This record gives sequence, C-alpha cells and structure tokens, in this order.
Amino acid sequence: MIDFKFWKKSSKTDKKDNKDKEYAFLSAVISIVVGLLVAIMLLFLLELVAPNSDFSKPILGIKKYFTYSFTSTSTFFKIFYNAAPLMLTGLAVGFAFKAGLFNIGATGQYAFGAFFALVAAILWQFPWWAALLVSIVAGAIWGVIPGLFKAFFNINEVITSIMLNWAGLYLANLLFYNLPAMHTVLPNRTDNLAFANPSAILPNFGLNQLLNTSYINIGIIIAIVVAVIIYIVLEKTVFGYEIKACGANRNASLFAGIKTKSTIIFTMLISGGLAGLAGGIVYLAGTVEFTVESHLLAMGFNGIPVALLAYSQPLAIIATSIFIGFLESSGSGLQGLYSYEMTSVILSVIIYFSAFALIVGHFIKKILKRRKNSKNDQDNETSSDLGIVPEAKPRDDEQIDQKEVVE
Amino acid sequence: MDIVSILVSKTIVYAIPLLLGALAGMFSERSGIINIALEGIMVFGSLFAALFLTRGITDSTLAATHPQFVVFLAILVAGISGGVYSLIFGFAAIKLKANQVISGTALNIFAPAFAILLAYSVISLGVSSIRLPRGIVMSPEIFGLTIDSMPRWVYTMFFSSLYLTTPISIIILIIAYITLYKTKFGLRLRACGEHPQAADSVGIKVVRMRYIGVFISGILAGIGGFAFAMANGSNHEPDVLGYGFLALAVMIFGNWKPFKILFGALFFSLFKTIAVFASTLSFLPSFGLVKVDNLYKTLPYIITLIVLAFTSKKSRAPKAEGIPYDPGQR
Repeated sequence: MIDFKFWKKSSKTDKKDNKDKEYAFLSAVISIVVGLLVAIMLLFLLELVAPNSDFSKPILGIKKYFTYSFTSTSTFFKIFYNAAPLMLTGLAVGFAFKAGLFNIGATGQYAFGAFFALVAAILWQFPWWAALLVSIVAGAIWGVIPGLFKAFFNINEVITSIMLNWAGLYLANLLFYNLPAMHTVLPNRTDNLAFANPSAILPNFGLNQLLNTSYINIGIIIAIVVAVIIYIVLEKTVFGYEIKACGANRNASLFAGIKTKSTIIFTMLISGGLAGLAGGIVYLAGTVEFTVESHLLAMGFNGIPVALLAYSQPLAIIATSIFIGFLESSGSGLQGLYSYEMTSVILSVIIYFSAFALIVGHFIKKILKRRKNSKNDQDNETSSDLGIVPEAKPRDDEQIDQKEVVE
Repeated sequence: MDIVSILVSKTIVYAIPLLLGALAGMFSERSGIINIALEGIMVFGSLFAALFLTRGITDSTLAATHPQFVVFLAILVAGISGGVYSLIFGFAAIKLKANQVISGTALNIFAPAFAILLAYSVISLGVSSIRLPRGIVMSPEIFGLTIDSMPRWVYTMFFSSLYLTTPISIIILIIAYITLYKTKFGLRLRACGEHPQAADSVGIKVVRMRYIGVFISGILAGIGGFAFAMANGSNHEPDVLGYGFLALAVMIFGNWKPFKILFGALFFSLFKTIAVFASTLSFLPSFGLVKVDNLYKTLPYIITLIVLAFTSKKSRAPKAEGIPYDPGQR
C-alpha cells in the first residue's frame, strides 16, 4: 500500500540536481520564446497567402493578444480562472511523468470528472465540496484503468488512455442523454447551476460582485494547495521516492524491493483524480455548462505543456499553469482578426520544443560557456521583457530525463 | 436490401481512411518510431488537398474534362504535404532523440489549429471547413456502365460513395505488403524496428531507414486524411474526429501486419457505420437507452482494449518502437 512516511534525503544528489535544473529552466524559456516567435512568424506568413495582404493586421493582432488580459478585471481574473484547471491537469500529467508514465488520458479523466461533478451537483444536489470529491473519484476510476493494464498486462499506457479518452467521451454523452434531469432546459446542455443547485457553485466570497467579474472562485486556491500537497508527497515521503525510482528505472526499483505494480496503479489513480478534480473545478464554477461533445476536450491536452515546461515539478507547475492560463485567455483577444486557435499553435510549438528541450538546454549552455565573458545572453533578456519567466527555482528533487518519460 | 447496401457502401468508404492511417502507423512503427501524430498528419494532408481542389486548380477545363485526374493530383498533394509534415516529427524523434509521444502530440495539436488559421486567412474569417467540389465521386460511366443498367442496390453498394482513394488504397495495401515482406528494403526497415543496433552492425543506416519509415507514414496518413474528408460528406473539416487514433487501434488490432490491418479496418468501420445508423437499424438492441449510438461508438475502443489485454503476451509489436536509436547502446 501507499507509504506516506517521511524520509530524509542525502544532500549528495542535490548538487547534480541543481545543475540539471539550470538546463531545465533555460530550456523552458527557450521553448516559450520559440513558441511565441513561431506563432508571430506564422501570422505574417498567413498574410502572405491571404487574398488581400495587410501587414498591419498581424502587428495589431500581436498587440491585442498580449494586452487583452489587462483590459478589464474580468479578463485579468480569467488568467487565474484558466490556470486552476491547467494546474491540476498539469499536475496529473507531471505526477505520472515522475513515475515514467505518460498520462495522455488526462482529457478523458477531466471530462469524466466534470460530468460526474455535475451529476452530483444537479442530480444528487450535493454541495460544492462533495461534488468536487465525486469528480476526483470519477477521474481516478477512469485514470486507474490504464494503470491496471500497464501493471498486469504490460500494455503501453498511452495506447490504453487514448482508447479510453474516446470511449469516455461517448460514454459521457450516452449518460448525459439518459439522465434527462440533467438537461431540462436545453437538450444538449446541462442546466445552469445557478438555477439547478446554487450550493454547488464554488464559493467566491462575494468577490465576483465586488470586482464585477464572474471568474473569481476558490478553484485557484484549491489548485495551489493540491500542488503543495503533491510536492510534499513527491519530495518528502517514501511513496514519492518510490514513484521517482520507478520512473528512473523500473527494473532497478523492482530489484530494490519496490512494488512497482502497485506504484504504477496508485500513480495513475492519483493522476486521474487530479485530472478529474480539474474538471470539477471548471464545471462547478457556474460559468460553463457541460455540452455534448464530439471532440476531446482541449483542457486535458493543455496540461501536457504545463507539466513539460515545469519539468514535472509541482511548485514550478503553479507558475507555468498561470503562464499557459494567460495564453489561453489571450486567445479571445484575437476575435475579429484571427482565430482563437492561435493559442493552440503556440502551445503545440512549446510542446514540440519541450520534447527535446533538455538537449537544446545542454547545447545552449555549452555555447554560453564558450562566450562566458560576453555581456549577457539574449534569451534571458527577451523572456523577462515579456514577463513570462516561470519561477522554476532550484528544487531539491531528482530530474527525470525526458528521454525516459515514456519507455 | 437498401439498408444493407448502404451499410456496405459506408463501411467500405470509412474503412479506407482507417486502412491508410493504420498502414501509415505500421510503416513508422516497423521502423521503430511510434507515430502518434497520425491524427495531425491526416488533418494536414486533407487541408492541402482540399485547398488544392478548391483554390489551386484555376484551370477549370481540366477539372471539367478530367475530374478524376484532378482528384488524383489532389491525392498526390495530400500525400506530399502529409509526408513533409511528418518529417517535422521525424526530425525531433530521430535526429534529436526527443520523446516520440510528446512530439507527436505537439503535431496533433498544431495541425487542427493551423488548419483553422489558414482557412480563416485564405477563405474568410469564421469559415474553417472547405467544401470539396462536386463530381469527385467516381461515376459508373468511368467503367463503361450506366446507372440504369444495374439494379439499384448494386449502384448504392458500390458506386454511391466510390472515390478514387478506394482503388488506390487497395493498390497501396498490396504494395505495402510486397515492400514489407518481399523486398530488401522491407527486411531492413523491420530490422530497424526490432533491433536497430544489430541492423547497424550489418551496415543498415538506421537513421535513414527511420526517416524513410516516417516519411512513408506521413504520405499514407496524408492520403488517409483526404480520404476521410471525401468520405465525411465531401467536406474538409479542421479535424478528423479521432480517426488517427482509431487507426492506431486498427494497427494494433491488425498486429502490425498489412492484411490483418485491412480486416481490422473493415471491422472497425462496420462498428462506426452501425453506430451512425443505430437509430434506424431496428435489429440492434437499444437496452432501453436513448441515443444508443453513443454506446456503439465506444465499442471499437472497448474491443481494442479487450483484444490488447488478451493478446499482450502474443503481441508482435516491433521491439524497438519508441526507443530513440543510440548507436552506443547494446
């Protein structure tokens, strides 16, 4: 079973870790800068192929994109409103990464958590905290299945979770249609929580009325608390040590007496629970309703860049999720000029570069060492100008090489 | 009789993108690269083929006189754009030894977003789907037949949604089989997926073989995306509704073997078609549920999971798939 006993780490490993973290931080910054540059380049390239080219349009678009979040309190608080579920899905992905598992099924677990949070809220009239617990359980159940397949049949968790993403989507749709009490007003949309069950809406302590927005709620605080708990579990407990050992080398940890099978299962259970909680937080905010979907929800996938940029470190995930949350809310600023999907372009490039960022980080470091005496390096400058430096301070934990994340 | 012929026709037309996608996955995985980016590559191929058909062909006389030749050109465009796009993935996965699943996911997220942005710029803001021109269906006249000369159900079954991709993908399947099992190249490709170090030791250029594997994969997936666009109501949409992932399932179901993949594609497509027609097929049990089609939609995925669980011991997955090639490793 899970051993939450605290353990003391020797300081010997710390030195090597700090060095790796420098690379990690640098490569995260590079990924972000390149992501933004590619997106900006793409805007100009699109003008080239457009029927009536107008090169002031991309400049206006860029300006709107980066200033949109600061135009009103509503758009500003939307950053944190977006960041809360991103933090949790990022934690879900990152937590699985630590055990060497790639939880690409976070989107399915997120959808399941979201749906059952609403079932609890509307059908069973649960208060918000109980509905959140239901969302955790639902996500965990959907998340543990790939874990079981991995542990008992040694089937790659990526394949099983992809299958479960789609199966879960249709299953949620099926359940939705067969629970008519969930959608008494519109056929394809759950009832608004404000009418169905106001006690299920996440509390905002009256701040929404005060600041004239609907995007403040307790969600971001829950997410940060969860991030700290995950940090403690990973860094200070025996269970966390076992997870990381499992991720670093499964055979070696099995040889050392770690029950790798149960570690995998519990990791996926917790990872699924985190993704499920993310779903609960979004749909219990009272701002969106669950609709019948024919696509996988993007939120689960966006947890991947959050985790990758933070190198799966829980406290760094707090920073990166706020950054990605900023990008997400900025997408709306492009309305009338470009599509909201600009954010997806930036995110995908970030993911792409994160996939080999550690190598790029080492490479850049090498170049920098050669020019040690030159004034300062450009990358750090540009990124701090944009105000997007994730606070990836050195943490005392072990770095899992990205190459080993998925076997 | 009518419903059966519709079912058969739809099953075939939807099996084609799955077949091509799964063969694409097979070529990549046989060379040792897990190509999870199939979904994105399909969107990419479909996008450029659709743009080529609607924007590129300005010479309308060619389109009017030889519509199938234009479709053939569009298939080439789809294949090439898919192949080029897959090289972006290949560069990260092979040259930079990046995590293949993560870089594949990046391509999956990029493609639909790019498709929307490009369509907004080229066509007009807010329009993301591209209507393919009419007349891309292969009419019986091409084969010297007329609609009146055959029974109605024959027409429905074989000609109502017959596209050029259907015969081409059959040819591709046969070529794929021959390439993989009857040529030197195929043997080398498979060696790279099983034990790249051993392949290297006998002089096979693993990196080059893997690039070729990924490139072939991209070509086939690109064509598959175009086939999906034609099957799906002759409309290019900025996504292929999970067919890339389903193709991966078909590939696993078919145990990485071409003809088993064909069987898997037909089987999965049958379930998809049944799901679409679930409300009109009276012989299907509804279990007292509304919108029971959603239940049938889950079946291909659930069946894949069950098959995976039972065959994991016998699975013939390429041994080195997903592992970046490191010449120094034993």
